[in-house]
Amino acid sequence: MIWLIIISMAVVVFSSRHLLLEPKLPIRLSKNTLTLLSYSAPAVLTAIFAPIVFVPEGQLAISIHNPYLTCALVATVLAYVTRNTLLTTVLSMGLFFILY
Amino acid sequence: MGAAELTSMTTSKSRSVLKGALAMMPLTIAVIPWGILAGSFALDVGLTPVESQAMSAIIFAGSAQLVALGMIKAGIGIGSILITTLLITSRHLLYAMAMRSHISPLPLKWRLGLGFLLTDELFAITNQSHGGDKLAQHQFDRWYALGGGLTFYIGWNIATLLGIVAGQSIDHLDDLGLDFAIAATFIAIVVPTVKKPSILVCVLVSLTLAVVCAVFAIQAGLLIAAISGMVAGMAYAKLTGEGNAVSAPVHSSTSHSAKSHTDSVKKDQNR
Repeated sequence: MIWLIIISMAVVVFSSRHLLLEPKLPIRLSKNTLTLLSYSAPAVLTAIFAPIVFVPEGQLAISIHNPYLTCALVATVLAYVTRNTLLTTVLSMGLFFILY
Repeated sequence: MGAAELTSMTTSKSRSVLKGALAMMPLTIAVIPWGILAGSFALDVGLTPVESQAMSAIIFAGSAQLVALGMIKAGIGIGSILITTLLITSRHLLYAMAMRSHISPLPLKWRLGLGFLLTDELFAITNQSHGGDKLAQHQFDRWYALGGGLTFYIGWNIATLLGIVAGQSIDHLDDLGLDFAIAATFIAIVVPTVKKPSILVCVLVSLTLAVVCAVFAIQAGLLIAAISGMVAGMAYAKLTGEGNAVSAPVHSSTSHSAKSHTDSVKKDQNR
């Protein structure tokens, strides 16, 4: 079962990466589809990280004592100010491992 | 073609591969804790070491792997896992769309190879290599892309292996808070892409619903939150006429995020 999941996931992932690189494929996404897709990265990535930050132990933890939340806020500010991916991740993770 | 010419061509190819590898280094380093988590979490969920490594080697998609592992652990069926994977990976359709003009004229082995290696990170460094605001149509360097893509692939797999090895000897490696690496990376990627009010709306809706679903332990939370966020962002843009301000809303928003991602990579390199 695990192998079935791995192989089928690989097919889905590879297809999404490769499909539109294929010159013979007459695939044209409509303008609306493309517009909707342009929101997929921020929406999906946010939906993945938000529970890690706000619900670390299965319960809502909006508190200064939640290191996930405080460090995520620091990361947000760093990302906004520096726009530097590496600096943001390294500094906020360093802070997190000190606090955690 | 003379021998000297052949030699110089080979040299310029290997130089391009090396340049791509170097450009990818900062992002490869940033992905290490994440790879360790992917390896150790896979063991924790009950996969064998070979299966755990195979996930990174065959699927090669960090966020999809981690989310799928969480779903396997929760006993969710393969259908839901694949639908979720499709949603998570759908952003690659856009990357491929943006790189279509560069990659689709290449021979099949290049299309397959670069397609397999096409990640958020590869998209960022290949667009950066062209410099400026606009992607130059003529200047795509396949060897540079290959060097960057392979470096990231190898880095991701070594980090996964580290996680598998460490996970076998250290208990509760996933309690070390490595999952914060995911949050930190995604925040670092998402924040610079918020350049329009509609993207902010999209992020806030997705964030709120993801948290609500997590609190109530709703399994399909990721799907609900992400799709709602996308629809809300698009609806906001349509209602406010945000997209009409520029001639091609789709491409502008794509290159916006690519550009900001690129900018951050550029800064990484200048450090």
